[in-house]
Amino acid sequence: MALIAVIDDDPDILEASTLILEANGYKVVTASNPTTGFDIVTKDKPDLIILDVMMDEADDGFFLAQRFRKEGIKTPILMYTSISKAIGLHFGANDLVPVDDFVEKPISPEELIKKVQNLL
Amino acid sequence: MDITYPKILFIDDEKGLRLGTEKLLKKKRFDVICAENGEQGIKLGIQFDFDVVLIDLNMPDKNGLAVLKELISKKPNTVYFIVTAYGSYESAIEATRLGAYNYFLKPFTPQELFHQIEKGLKQRKLLLESIELKKERELNLTTIAHEKSRLNTIIEAISSGVMLINKERKLVYYNKACLQKLNFDELIIEDEIIEKLPKNIAQIVNDILASENPRGKSYTTEVEILPNNELTIEATCSRVPHPDGTFAGVVVVLKNITGLKQLEALKSQFVSMVAHELKTPLAAVLGYLDILTNDTLVVPEEKQKQYLQRSHLRLRGSLDLVNDLLDISRIETNHIIKETEYVAIPEIVKSCIEILELEIKKKNINIIHNIQEDLPKIKIDKNDITKIFSNLLSNAVKYNFENGSININYNLNKNFIVVSISDTGIGLKEEEKQHLFQQFYRAKNKHTKLVSGTGLGLSIVKRLVDANQGKINVESVYCEGSTFTMHFPFK
Repeated sequence: MALIAVIDDDPDILEASTLILEANGYKVVTASNPTTGFDIVTKDKPDLIILDVMMDEADDGFFLAQRFRKEGIKTPILMYTSISKAIGLHFGANDLVPVDDFVEKPISPEELIKKVQNLL
Repeated sequence: MDITYPKILFIDDEKGLRLGTEKLLKKKRFDVICAENGEQGIKLGIQFDFDVVLIDLNMPDKNGLAVLKELISKKPNTVYFIVTAYGSYESAIEATRLGAYNYFLKPFTPQELFHQIEKGLKQRKLLLESIELKKERELNLTTIAHEKSRLNTIIEAISSGVMLINKERKLVYYNKACLQKLNFDELIIEDEIIEKLPKNIAQIVNDILASENPRGKSYTTEVEILPNNELTIEATCSRVPHPDGTFAGVVVVLKNITGLKQLEALKSQFVSMVAHELKTPLAAVLGYLDILTNDTLVVPEEKQKQYLQRSHLRLRGSLDLVNDLLDISRIETNHIIKETEYVAIPEIVKSCIEILELEIKKKNINIIHNIQEDLPKIKIDKNDITKIFSNLLSNAVKYNFENGSININYNLNKNFIVVSISDTGIGLKEEEKQHLFQQFYRAKNKHTKLVSGTGLGLSIVKRLVDANQGKINVESVYCEGSTFTMHFPFK
């Protein structure tokens, strides 16, 4: 059974994501800030990381993703985004944005599961 | 009224002719003076301003041409005649070459004399008129020169940069403001300036110079001269025509729009922050609703209830945010018009506490309100002061621990009433304190995670205190509590 780490500072997003993922048979660990996020990933070695782009600061999620890659953690990353498009932050997966896919909030259960399945 | 008659000088050594001519001319109401030799003639001719001077060519002391030469050098606007009994073609030519108006022979008939003098007077009139015209023209030139210097002063005084580039691509005029706008150390007149200008501006100037279209259309571009919103200018380039419509060059007007750009950046930053703050709770609520309405997901009943409660809380938070935004917009648009009245602060505090009663009881918080009976009232906008205390007290409850307490104290310090609100709540870390009054700043730590807030409450408090000539500061120890102290002036 795959283990998924969800890192987001919004407790309700963590709750909703956990319910959806668990209902689909995944095991879930959560963290609500980049620091504990990094800790659970190194400790629990999940099969997939779901990461919110904007936590304390506008691009905390990006920095955390970069940190994972720098430390040699190659786990696929699915990024939650919110208003990045609206404020002109267009991005795609590349070296600077080392993530594998994006999910735009609000999160629809079907879309989330589909993208998770793709990456596992 | 004085009538002035034409002034005539007659220089002749022949006494009879002199007297006869004088008599003739006086009869015709000319103002005549006679000189009996060349020297005297020169003296008189210089001393007075004659309309017409008649000079005998052959005088014993001085040749008439020499007299003519001397007089004409001093009085060029008088009309001179040479009169002679022994006319020769050469002397006539020489006389006119020297500047005599005409040349006629003695003896002359009265008619001939009058005729010559009339002609001379006409010439004199023309000469005088041309002098007037010349004077007028010179005066005009002076006016134009003044006009030009006035225009210069005006152009120098305007804060925008103005530069003129002629069609030979050379800088022909600029004001000092150009240097600052372009961040240049110098500009040199006659310099080929275009290629030294920022690319966008050079491009437009080149286009205008190359265009055949005589119509004066202006083009505007924005140029970032210094990065990071330090200096941005707007350049407007227009064709400059000569008075006849032909192409003279290009005028470039450089306007500093840095302030505008900074405001724009602030505005879009604010808009994206608001958008983010509004979208976050909506995304959470929609996430829950998607789960609750999803047929394939089985959600335990207690979770269903929890999701609805959380949704309610998050939407309530959005509503608070919208209300706070409305407050901010109210403060920003109305802060000039204040409806001030005399207000007793403790009364306001009491009413705010009453509104918070439910939450206070829930957390079992002890309120210690140390009212001072003799506290003066202050003249202040009642809505503002109520908002200030309701925000601060609601924070003191929200960020307090259970069974905590809130102390409200009053003091007088010179012209100020000092009010302090101390709580025994979660407090602030040093780095959090600096950002506390910023819009959308919320201290993020394990204690604040589950407390909902818009991040606008304290920024509203700060604005309102400032708008009412007060001041506010905060002292805080993380995990122990915060004290907000306000000074309000009274008279």
